[in-house]
Amino acid sequence: SGVPLAVPSVRRLARELKVDLREVAGTGKHGRITEEDVRRYAQAREQL
Amino acid sequence: MVVGEFGKEVDVLVIGAGPGGYVAAIRAAQLGKKVTIVEKDKLGGVCLNVGCIPSKALISAAHKYELMNDDQGMGITAENVTVDFAKVQEWKQGVVQKLTGGVETLLKGNNVEIIQGEAIFVSEDEVRVNRGYESERLKFNHCIIATGSRPVELKPFPFGGRIISSTEALALKEIPKSMVVIGGGYIGIELGQTFAKFGTKVTILEGENQILPTFEKQVAQLVQKNLKRLNVNVVKNAMAQSAEQDENSVTVTYKVKDKEETITADYLLVTVGRKPNTDELGLDMAGVKVNERGLIEVDEQCRTSNERIFAIGDVVAGPALAHKASYEGKIAAEVIAGEPSAVDYKVIPAVVFSDPEIATVGLTEAEAKEEGYEVSVGKFPFAANGRALSVNATDGFVKVVANKENGVILGAQVVGMEASNLIAELGLAIEMGATLEDVALTIHAHPTLGEMTMEAAEVALGQPIHMVK
Repeated sequence: SGVPLAVPSVRRLARELKVDLREVAGTGKHGRITEEDVRRYAQAREQL
Repeated sequence: MVVGEFGKEVDVLVIGAGPGGYVAAIRAAQLGKKVTIVEKDKLGGVCLNVGCIPSKALISAAHKYELMNDDQGMGITAENVTVDFAKVQEWKQGVVQKLTGGVETLLKGNNVEIIQGEAIFVSEDEVRVNRGYESERLKFNHCIIATGSRPVELKPFPFGGRIISSTEALALKEIPKSMVVIGGGYIGIELGQTFAKFGTKVTILEGENQILPTFEKQVAQLVQKNLKRLNVNVVKNAMAQSAEQDENSVTVTYKVKDKEETITADYLLVTVGRKPNTDELGLDMAGVKVNERGLIEVDEQCRTSNERIFAIGDVVAGPALAHKASYEGKIAAEVIAGEPSAVDYKVIPAVVFSDPEIATVGLTEAEAKEEGYEVSVGKFPFAANGRALSVNATDGFVKVVANKENGVILGAQVVGMEASNLIAELGLAIEMGATLEDVALTIHAHPTLGEMTMEAAEVALGQPIHMVK
């Protein structure tokens, strides 16, 4: 299914940073989204 | 006394002190909110008072009695084992009181104001709380509806006298000689099996062609086998028609295919489901939308169509389970406190405290296939586990279902002793997006039932140690 792989704490962080996990490219195994991935995405967005 | 026109103002109002309500109240208080909780009956709600806790207490007492009368080949025999059912009930009630007392302590310790009474909405931001002849009005900034559910009453079988719901069954003063149960779902099976262990002659009437119809057939079969051993008469495809009762007994008429049968017993227990307590709340006054099944419509933050009102637990969609209610309670409280929380779980475990126990989480093999997955499945039997043998509990299995493409675990079913505890690891595995390999590479203590989770993963990977393929 289309639900990205991310552990509960990363999913919570994504909500806090208003990051849509579907737009994040996961760098972990099987495309898992890491905490780093979420923070990097949020930072990059701010620089736009 | 008419307390009147001016409502007392409260910040966060929680209606209902069950597992959803009291957890919501505590979390909101932790986050600095001033909370008032209204409960019309007892703190702890259905779960603590007439549901989860008392049923599990009775189940464990019945199990203990059963084991005392059963040598099990271990060389231990007892004579004249007796049950003092009044004492069993007293002990059970003691457990309930300890826990409900604990809830009160927690609420007070978090400075939550407790009001005894029945809340009814009179406007979009106000309730009237009725308590006997008195009533007061409370005006709230935010409200969380957590009013729970009650047993479904079937028209031909109105509760009263010898026709009882789970609530009365849990409070029986003596062990019935016989009992008919309508509904072979988890409540009917748990209670029916428990009384069978105490010596009641139990008949279960199930409308479908298997008991526990929401579970896999293999799973239900293991429970069915145990029910047979306890001389429980399970009638499948049975449509209950009517009942007649007198002072001492009740006679139930049911149909199997077109054949009509009757059966007489001390009690008729009706456990065909539960319905949400949303019908006498004045929800229309509050502008809170309810669907055709009486469930309150909410968004992913548990917010209703009235943005200051939230709803959680059995009054909203999803399985009617205490742990779901508590989870939603925390979400609602956090959202009210300004946090960006949302309902975001991959799975909710479900447990049946039958003998053997059943626990499931996530997708079954069939469901995973329906969703289009190619699956890897691993099943490991209790009979091949050292710990299971040493506790003489060889009935059961652990089954894991994974996505074949990447090994990510999608679901698990456990039947057997301690299934209720074993399922926790698999729930975590799914939330973490763990693969079969992750579980198989995790060292599990020996000898434990938990090793079967590791071995089931190894089976799915095609390399089990304690099983020949």
